[in-house]
Amino acid sequence: MRQLVLTLTALALLAAIPAAADETCQSPFLPKVTGQEDFIYVWTLGVPGVGDGNDSMVTVDANPKSASYGKIVHRAPVPGRHEAHHAGFTDDRRQLWAGGLDTSQIFVFDVATDPAKPKLVKTIKTFEKDTGGLVGPHTFYPLPGRMLISALSNKDGTGRTGLAEYTNDGKFIRAIPMPAEAPYGYDVRVNINLNRMLTSSFAGKKNYMRPVGELLKDAEAMKQFGDSVVVWDFHARKPLQVLRIPGAPLELRWALQPNHHYAFTSTALTGQLVLIHRQDDGTWAAKNIAEIGANIPVDISIAPDDSKIYVNSYGDGTLRVYDVTNPFEGKLIHQVKLGEQANMVSTSWDGQRLYATSSLLSNWDKPGDHWLKGLAWEGGQLVPKFTTDFGGVGRAHIMNFGAR
Amino acid sequence: MSHGGGGRPWPLALLLAGLLAAAPAAAHEPAAVEDEYIKGVFTPAFVPPPPGSYELPVLGTVASFVLRDADGRSVSTAAITRGKVAVVSFIYTACTDRLGCPLASAALRRLQTRLRDERLDGEAVLLTISFDTERDTPVQLAKYARAYDADPQLWRFMAAPSPRTLDAVLRSYGQDRRPEYDERGRFTGRYRHMLKVFLLDRAGRIRNVYSTGFLVPDVVVNDVKTVLRD
Repeated sequence: MRQLVLTLTALALLAAIPAAADETCQSPFLPKVTGQEDFIYVWTLGVPGVGDGNDSMVTVDANPKSASYGKIVHRAPVPGRHEAHHAGFTDDRRQLWAGGLDTSQIFVFDVATDPAKPKLVKTIKTFEKDTGGLVGPHTFYPLPGRMLISALSNKDGTGRTGLAEYTNDGKFIRAIPMPAEAPYGYDVRVNINLNRMLTSSFAGKKNYMRPVGELLKDAEAMKQFGDSVVVWDFHARKPLQVLRIPGAPLELRWALQPNHHYAFTSTALTGQLVLIHRQDDGTWAAKNIAEIGANIPVDISIAPDDSKIYVNSYGDGTLRVYDVTNPFEGKLIHQVKLGEQANMVSTSWDGQRLYATSSLLSNWDKPGDHWLKGLAWEGGQLVPKFTTDFGGVGRAHIMNFGAR
Repeated sequence: MSHGGGGRPWPLALLLAGLLAAAPAAAHEPAAVEDEYIKGVFTPAFVPPPPGSYELPVLGTVASFVLRDADGRSVSTAAITRGKVAVVSFIYTACTDRLGCPLASAALRRLQTRLRDERLDGEAVLLTISFDTERDTPVQLAKYARAYDADPQLWRFMAAPSPRTLDAVLRSYGQDRRPEYDERGRFTGRYRHMLKVFLLDRAGRIRNVYSTGFLVPDVVVNDVKTVLRD
């Protein structure tokens, strides 16, 4: 990935500077800049009775040299609750787009004018209409001049879904349906060196908005989950191959090093860490490389040198670290109990720091605390550095890194 | 930092050209990932989808601007691009970022050759606009054009006559650019920018945007053909 060296003090002199640090799992089209991240933007679920109850973009100070390290320094609420879930920068890092899985609204925050204080500048309320019935905008993945968005569902609540594209200034470009034999959607990630795009699969709105206790007892509904990863020709946006990966393969992470022609995913319902690799004939294959267990692994993150995969599990609130130096065989090398449940996990660009959050979905979260935790590698151990209590603002979900 | 002078005006461009022209396995050390990007531009590890087998939806429409060309004449961009498929890039000649302007210009030189080979030179045009209104004088642009073997009929270079015009151009395309300052607040001579190259159809509508890693001449040629089939 491209790494630019920044003079942060110089940048502070300028009015309109994009953010400058990054986790490892972003788009290759997003400029990645070396440096200590100053902020973590946490797209946060609103909770009735907690403050104004609205979803919000919360800024946590992540710079250890700062007096407010580990503290919430800003909160930008949006009107109402929308099932705040994922968010991503535009290719120039001037905006952070954040989606609501319930209302399908998309909130565009300016993070360039004052990186500590994201400001809501636009709301796209026409996602369902624009896309011909897609709902649940999930991954926001920057492409040059545009945003690629994977949706989770369609308006009738089943999982048949697709991808959507908007220009950076919020104009709808097109919708692309998932192939009939792999209708579900979740994440989307591109490998530009190979012109390949991967999409994964979860469940429709009927499932993801349903209280989890009820859902687990409904055998028919439990069959309505994705079991595939689709390999696409990225430039043509055409599906090439469907890989059967049962049990809802969620987050996708391409290896970052040159000539590492593979990606990883994990399956929520079957607890597998899965390698997706290019074969000699140019086709793709999937292989289970570690049994994570029946703990509902949800988010994964890749070390910048492709040596490790971090896995957060919702079921047991544990962060597990797998050595994937040999990508065909994942070895569990470390684990840390984070809390009752855990969801997102993000690695810093230099692989030294790690951040995790607690919340999964409003109707699936267990009773308990919500937080963001910072950890760092010290002497071969992952050491807790801070815990940010989200009790006063809502439930912490996806993290994006920013800098002054 | 030097952007030329004396007898060795474009060491980086020449280095890049030399690096990429022949054997991909040449012994060069620098950042492996950067090498991978550069290699990927000129010898992609994939077969680009054939022209017309995919869609390039309209992303927006750009305005026309009167800029100064490398001969010092005031010319409207529409006069150059009208009726042709245009590949419009933004650079500044002092840029030394390996994955920035030098890579873009090397890729465009290859594209120029490909367009000629495919006999598309009557239907397509390359337009490179500088965002250094002060230093990229017509003389400087002409020198840069020669360094990249630009055919004046096929590849034009322009600069805005004023910072205000430049801002309007950049806004129209959605191209970012920020001057870089040192710790004492002095301009370093460099600009921070996302490398972006825009594909315009005959009506001046943006049909694709390329950035580092995907400015692959083989892909752009197919995109030009795809748009020409409209």
